[in-house]
Amino acid sequence: MNSRFKTIDLTLGSVFVVLMMIGANIAYWFPAFRITYAGGEVPITLQTLFAILAGLILGKRLGAFSMIVYLAVGIAGVPVFAEMTAGAAQLISPTGGFLISFIFVAYLSGLVVEKMNRQSISTYMTATIVGLLTNYLIGTPIMYLSMNYVAEASTPMNVVIMIMVPYFIKDFIITIALAAVLPQFITRLTKAIPSLAAR
Amino acid sequence: MNSFIIGQYVPKISWIHQLDPRTKLIIVFSYVIVIFAADSALGYGILLALAFLSTYLIQIPFKFIAKGLKPVWWIMVFTFILHLIFTRQGDMFISVLGFGLYDGAIIKAIEISLRFFLLILMTTVLTLTTTPIAITDAVETLLGPFKKLKLPVHELAMMMSISLRFIPTLMQEMDKITKAQASRGLDFKTGTLKDRAKAVLPLFIPLFINAFRRAEDLAVAMDARGYQGAYNRTKFRELKFTGLDYIIGLFVITVFAVFFMTGT
Repeated sequence: MNSRFKTIDLTLGSVFVVLMMIGANIAYWFPAFRITYAGGEVPITLQTLFAILAGLILGKRLGAFSMIVYLAVGIAGVPVFAEMTAGAAQLISPTGGFLISFIFVAYLSGLVVEKMNRQSISTYMTATIVGLLTNYLIGTPIMYLSMNYVAEASTPMNVVIMIMVPYFIKDFIITIALAAVLPQFITRLTKAIPSLAAR
Repeated sequence: MNSFIIGQYVPKISWIHQLDPRTKLIIVFSYVIVIFAADSALGYGILLALAFLSTYLIQIPFKFIAKGLKPVWWIMVFTFILHLIFTRQGDMFISVLGFGLYDGAIIKAIEISLRFFLLILMTTVLTLTTTPIAITDAVETLLGPFKKLKLPVHELAMMMSISLRFIPTLMQEMDKITKAQASRGLDFKTGTLKDRAKAVLPLFIPLFINAFRRAEDLAVAMDARGYQGAYNRTKFRELKFTGLDYIIGLFVITVFAVFFMTGT
């Protein structure tokens, strides 16, 4: 084998794809995760947090690769995306950019952890904020492109940003709150799974 | 929970079901590109005809297809209304409260919603007639040339199949954990933000540990059976092109080629 990915890498990356699916559809198990907002229901998804976790736990390379697999499984028709949707069309729909950005989210948050001291709350906070910003910095421009060239509805960039601001605030609060418990989470996880501690 | 079916595949015997998954993948992806090139009534007519022909050929009741269309119909409606209100092309023939309705806008609105409709319809036809495993195999063979560039194509396909295998297992596991922790009085609804974030731990720690343990076990089992990656690996399911693939493939490619030459 070309020794780039070991067998354990393949299987860990694969289960992470499934964890991503569960994170994206957490409201399916917990109706408490649905919040009513302006008349409509907005389910909370933990996709961004899980993509960040992919980088933190699996490292930048495998984390990013497992996100590619996640997208590929979704394109193949398995309902792994948020709200149990699937299909190539999701990638070019207005929110498709956020899906594509997960690859970079995982890579960059993995990079942050590799560069900084491990196991401290500031490391995880930095990685989380970097991941969250990457998510929106890639997702929003692609949303703009999708609105203008796929739907051909000429929407100026500032309108797109205006649409995304409430979502960003929501994601920011949730993700930061959960990042606060990450050190505890990862310590317990590596204690239980020895092959993760070796990473 | 149990009524949830993974994937949309509906087993049937039809021409489209019998096609090689590679043929279907190529056709659907070129179809998606052609949709964006379409610019005239004739072009959309041909694309519609192709889409309806394939929906007819797969012999699957319409309710399955409608299920596939469900998540996107609001985008269609939304873009339709958006174009109706904001597009300013052609002649205005009615004016309500300062908003003009232009005939160009109607054409544009129909065009764009048709674009979404066709996009979803064709990708749904693909996933209705092809199992995810067959698509995984097709992806591995079609991306085969990229192995030369040292891209991990085999690993991609392998990981896709492993995740397909784990989706039902881990969803069941999540179900159990949810019920177990709920019966212990897990509560997200009250308390400070920090308390609520902490309430997530008893949920995610068992889930992640369980998932990673399964991954470790599988890796040991694969190594014990001598898994070595792509090299010298033979396949249980071999993909084969049949006469049907050549006929339908050639037909569709000719249609698309004419499409591009004439620029419709």
